[in-house]
Amino acid sequence: MFNAVQLCRCTMINKKICMLGAFSVGKTSLVAQYVHSVFSDKYLSTVGVKISKKTIAVDDGQEVTLVLWDMEGRDIFTNVNVSYLRGAMGFFVVADGTRAETLDTALELRSLVLDQVGAVPNALLVNKADLADQWEITESRLNQASAEGIAVFRTSAKTGQSVEEAFRALAEAMLKAGRNV
Amino acid sequence: MTDTLSASPSPPGDGEAESLHSALPLETQTDEDFPALSAESSYSAPDIGAADTSAMAEKSSVCSPEDLAPSAREGEAPSISPDLWNDLPEIPNDEELQRLRELLFQRELAIIQRLKDSLNDPRQNAKRVSEVVAEALLLRGDDNRLNTALEPAVNAILKTSLNRHQSDFVGVLFPLMGPSIRKSIAETFRSMLEGFSKSLEMSFSWKGLRWRLEALRTGKPFSEIVLLHTLAYRVEQLFFIHSETGLVLSHLTNGGVGTQDADMVSAMLTAIQDFVRDCFASGSEGELESLHLGDFTIIIEKYSKAYLACVLRGTPPSDFREGLRATLETMLIEFAEPLESFSGDTAPFTGAARHLEPFLITRYQDEGQKLPWWGKALPLLAVLVLAGGIGTFSYHARELRQQQAAHMSFMQAGLDFLRKEPGLTLTHVSQAANGPWEVMLLKDDLAKAPGDVLQAQGFQPDAFLVETIPYISYDPSIVARRVKNAIDLPPTVTMHFSQGMLTFTGTAPLAWIAGAKETARTLPGVKQVDMSGVKDPLLDRITAMIKSIESADIEFPLGKAIPVATDISKLAAAVDTLVELEKLVSGIGFTLSLTIYGHADATGLETRNYEISQDRTRTVAAMLYARGSSIPIAMYGMGSQYPKGEKPNGQAASAPKEDQASRRIELRVHIARPATSGVDIFTR
Repeated sequence: MFNAVQLCRCTMINKKICMLGAFSVGKTSLVAQYVHSVFSDKYLSTVGVKISKKTIAVDDGQEVTLVLWDMEGRDIFTNVNVSYLRGAMGFFVVADGTRAETLDTALELRSLVLDQVGAVPNALLVNKADLADQWEITESRLNQASAEGIAVFRTSAKTGQSVEEAFRALAEAMLKAGRNV
Repeated sequence: MTDTLSASPSPPGDGEAESLHSALPLETQTDEDFPALSAESSYSAPDIGAADTSAMAEKSSVCSPEDLAPSAREGEAPSISPDLWNDLPEIPNDEELQRLRELLFQRELAIIQRLKDSLNDPRQNAKRVSEVVAEALLLRGDDNRLNTALEPAVNAILKTSLNRHQSDFVGVLFPLMGPSIRKSIAETFRSMLEGFSKSLEMSFSWKGLRWRLEALRTGKPFSEIVLLHTLAYRVEQLFFIHSETGLVLSHLTNGGVGTQDADMVSAMLTAIQDFVRDCFASGSEGELESLHLGDFTIIIEKYSKAYLACVLRGTPPSDFREGLRATLETMLIEFAEPLESFSGDTAPFTGAARHLEPFLITRYQDEGQKLPWWGKALPLLAVLVLAGGIGTFSYHARELRQQQAAHMSFMQAGLDFLRKEPGLTLTHVSQAANGPWEVMLLKDDLAKAPGDVLQAQGFQPDAFLVETIPYISYDPSIVARRVKNAIDLPPTVTMHFSQGMLTFTGTAPLAWIAGAKETARTLPGVKQVDMSGVKDPLLDRITAMIKSIESADIEFPLGKAIPVATDISKLAAAVDTLVELEKLVSGIGFTLSLTIYGHADATGLETRNYEISQDRTRTVAAMLYARGSSIPIAMYGMGSQYPKGEKPNGQAASAPKEDQASRRIELRVHIARPATSGVDIFTR
């Protein structure tokens, strides 16, 4: 009875994804209600990363477990702990629609991560879609980003708008990329 | 003469002095022969000139031109090597020339003298050296000769300083070294005791013998073999983790261990390794090898592709990590391809569990030893030191505890014994993780000690951490015990207690019967006491004597206080019996008292009847006292109110009639305990 072995890990697809963005763009709250999390927020400020997990079923019925590395918000992205980016199979950069400068940070972070981990699936989440009337980030800038091949999602941590959709899209993109390896 | 110097108008500047020097034939010689002076003069001469003016002025008249004669200078400057002067070319002792020199070089000679003086002045020397000593030492750099030169001095200084300022050093060093020394000592002591107690115990078991054989066979020290076999640990979780992504490839837990989400734990574990490396060991090759938290250890065995993290409690044997590494290496070879192309799919790693399962070991020490180690080690040490030998240890109980499950039920059984024990009431049981069982008990004073109860059932007396709270138990067996403690039951009496009713049967002295009855009534848990089943053998005799006394039929002639002739002997017999009874009764702690009623018949005046009836009682009392008795006697003359004889022919009771049977006395005997005077224990 005491040496009974439990095999916890079933065969499943696991993906490491990172989430980066400037301070208080709502990264943590963006995923708070969608993920399974066991670690308190204090890890974020001490170790600099908070681990969460989300399992989603993509269109073909395949379940994917996303292990989400929520990295401390930075304005000077050069300080991002690149160790935490290692092995990322996909990532989100997050901007706050009501603060234009956060988009710059997000795009800079995006290039940084692409440099570090290679061309992995990624998406830009522009958060606070529920405050659309206060947005500083213009549609034209976002359209320009889209034109550059960046997947853009207008999300709201408050209403949940497009959050699930963004995760699913990233998961599917990663699955596709994984198969191509 | 001092005036000539101090009053000399505005001493020339450096440049002026230079030009003066160069104009003179002596100049070259001076420079060459005082290389140190000339070298220094380039920056320190003006300093000396300025600083020394006052110093010189304070001094006595050292600077007169006369003083500068070589002879005078030699006497004055003992510290400058005479060779310096000897080497100088001879100056012709020409008075004219001498005068000329004095006239021409008065200032220069004065300057030279000042320089010389300042060189000879220890204070000046010290000052100059102090200005450059730090730079000089720096210039020497890591010259070993300097170290060698300084070493003895520094050592001596340290020694002196240590001796003089011991408390200062202690004050500084203690906070730094204290904790580590303490820790080290504690650790050493702990391991020593642990090893010691283990060795002792093992040397007395068949296991110990087997390990001794093993030690002989392998050539390892016995203590090492003991440690190897007795270390307790339990591997709780094993993670096989992809190094780069921190994703779990395989995760095993030991049954019953609550776990966090493996995916997140492994990601966090990976993040923490990155964190530690980035923060504290940036650029170094090493890896985080283990994490410790209290009893928990996380052992990490890492390769670039994947790593194993093993969460365990306790102390694993030293070869544990090696085993882990070997297994990881095997796995790295087996899973080389899927690891290389890993993109999140864990399916190819299903086989990993097969490699890892053997590590999910739980090695239990005997539980008795696992509970606080010092609790075992210290008594053992004490036994060794004090008795110089080892007593016998009971292994019967321990052998029952081979497995945790068995142990569990064993401990439960122990609790049951405590529960069943009369006078103990279990109120609370708790067990901290892997800690001792804590038991809270209500305990009657008369109940057995919990430790004794356990020991009687084959448990270690200290198998539980017991806290007791005193209380009074109404458990029948405890009440019975309480009664027996209180009343000192004689062997001839048996006691029965049921539903609050205490019943005694058998034979016992009256004193005991009366005393026990009173005491028993007051005891908690006793509602009623029945003593009717207990007889005193004396009682029958006493009862018979009383009966014979009280039934004595003693009649009196008309108008007389002396019994009729035939009854005189009856009265004497009754008095004899009374005296005997008195002795008997006082021998068992009781007192006897007597009431005498005197009666008359209805003839004659009733006042006379009262008198005669009273006289009759006095006759009896007199006889008793004549025999030496001290029985308290109450005497009542009753007159003719209580005729004894039958009323013949239905005559009226009031009709006075001569009646011998009524002219009588009646005796009533009372026996009582002095303490309860008035309570007649003979319930008739």
